[in-house]
Amino acid sequence: MSAIRSWPVRRNKRAGGESHQGLVQSADWKRPSVRWGLGGTHAALLVLLVIGGLGPILWLAKAAITPTQDTLSNPMALFPHGTALSNISDAWNQVDIGLYIWNTVVIAFGSWLCQIVVATTGAFALSVLKPKWGRVITALLLTTLFVPSVVLLVPLYLEVVHPPLINHSFINSYWAIWLPAGASAFNVVIMKRFFDNLPREIFEAARIDGAGPFRLFVSIVLPMSKPILGVISIFAVLASWKDFLWPLLVLSDPSKQPVSVRLPTIFGQTELGVFLAAMLIACLVPIVGFLIFQRSFLRGTGLSGALKG
Amino acid sequence: MASICFDGVSKVYSDGTCAVDELDLEIREGEFMVFVGPSGCGKTTALRMVAGLEEISGGRVVIGDREVNDISPKDRDIAMVFQNYALYPHMTVAANLAFGLKLRQLSKEEINRRVQEAAAALDLEDYLERKPKALSGGQRQRVALGRAIVREPAAFLMDEPLSNLDAALRVQTRGEILKLQKRLGTTTIYVTHDQVEAMTMGDRIAVMRKGVLQQLGTPQELYTHPANIFVASFIGSPAMNLVPAATIGIDRDGLLAGFRPEHVDVGYPADGAFGFQAVVELVEYLGDERLAHVRLDERLLTAKLPADQTLESGTSMTFTVPSSAVLLFDAETGLALDEGARRAPSTSQA
Repeated sequence: MSAIRSWPVRRNKRAGGESHQGLVQSADWKRPSVRWGLGGTHAALLVLLVIGGLGPILWLAKAAITPTQDTLSNPMALFPHGTALSNISDAWNQVDIGLYIWNTVVIAFGSWLCQIVVATTGAFALSVLKPKWGRVITALLLTTLFVPSVVLLVPLYLEVVHPPLINHSFINSYWAIWLPAGASAFNVVIMKRFFDNLPREIFEAARIDGAGPFRLFVSIVLPMSKPILGVISIFAVLASWKDFLWPLLVLSDPSKQPVSVRLPTIFGQTELGVFLAAMLIACLVPIVGFLIFQRSFLRGTGLSGALKG
Repeated sequence: MASICFDGVSKVYSDGTCAVDELDLEIREGEFMVFVGPSGCGKTTALRMVAGLEEISGGRVVIGDREVNDISPKDRDIAMVFQNYALYPHMTVAANLAFGLKLRQLSKEEINRRVQEAAAALDLEDYLERKPKALSGGQRQRVALGRAIVREPAAFLMDEPLSNLDAALRVQTRGEILKLQKRLGTTTIYVTHDQVEAMTMGDRIAVMRKGVLQQLGTPQELYTHPANIFVASFIGSPAMNLVPAATIGIDRDGLLAGFRPEHVDVGYPADGAFGFQAVVELVEYLGDERLAHVRLDERLLTAKLPADQTLESGTSMTFTVPSSAVLLFDAETGLALDEGARRAPSTSQA
């Protein structure tokens, strides 16, 4: 009898009707205890995640346009007593947060470019061109992942002060950040893994069509690698945006420092409301950037149709 | 259009596996040559060596009058159609077709002309702006063919291009490829493991096994005069019946007798025919004929009989084969005996 009853539910699911993919079946969702119990848990988790994730940003947004005294006297108040929109303009004009954000953008862009160039060309050489000692080079790359980054600080600093072959220090130059950022074994390894999984027949077809290594790289491999380029771009930009220690070490000139270095420096010299407004502006840039590009970052591999599935 | 010559070509991998063993073969200008054999026989490796996608361990590959051993794939003037289409997924159909032409720096007008011609020939005109993911399997395979055609190469290399299509589409596309090849007259090497495809398409067929060329000939030659037991059993469906010669009444040791299922008939052998008694195990009705699976000693034989032939499973019956249809093979070497060495028909029965 129960088998007969369950039949219409299954048919509805197959016909594209109500469908719950997961451990709980459609039929179970119709039971009040499951509906209310699991539904309530879902809602509670969602509220907790929103409070935990969005809460600090929303608080920062509120505090950025709240008078400093109000924030100090009652920091957790939901509604401010009056607004201070001048905090935003003061942050922009007095703190010169625009300059530091621009510095950060320049640093992030350069780091991103260096990382993309090194990761794609390195992975292409190891995965597609397959040099004679490719396996040894890959193994050496992997071993560098086990070296803690803190251990590399001093040798890297010495390298930047006295770069090989060039008798010119990179200190107080963005190259001091861009070049070390490019030397990321992690990026090369994950890019190589992605290239390894691209269909070889397509490369062979391109070679027969007349593509040399450069054309194969530019016209075939890179366009097919948008998803992994997106992933590496996110990692590169976020890491560069958040980086504090290395820019502090190599960029002593305040006019060249990124926002991550300048904000802690100006904390003691600036009114709290203006400082929080500066922080809000600094946070908004990556958030807006992610919202704009999230679809391309999270898109699928885009290889459908290339091969018989 | 160019001839292709394999001159003692070998391929040995670093682990010692010999994929192709001293292959000697000449494909004439404009010929449709089929490489056929079971998986791992070296047919695809041989094709890839012509394309330049596999290094040649020994021997020479000559396209036209050029040895191409050390010439890169793009300079060999060949085009290849892959089993899995290998289309560029980020490009439209038109861009897929034009890619190779752009790399050869042809003028825009010439590229457009060739793309339009290929699209018209393959019925792809309505899909030129679509990407491969928006096409069916048959359409994708036509794009892959189109990519080869637009190049107007000296030779087409096709690596099991129909194996991913369903049965009906395969038959249709088979005809289209044949018509196209005849119209263009381009030398073609076609690799398949499907002997029906090989028989219906090839001007000549090269049967391969374990890297060694077993026989080269027209479909009819291969069917009527197989060089050895392997070719005899590989070509033809159902396969040729192979039994010890003595079991059908041939008084010579160390020989196998081979005969096609369609040459077997029910009844006592007349003059100039062999006969044997066997138990009918299974009868398959195919509409216009019946396939009878009969047991002779420990061997299962097949007989293709008229649809109105009465047969009953489990009964013992006498079958006859005309002596002209019986081929003799050396049981030890597996090689076919020369015509002159065949034994005169015997009237004795097994």
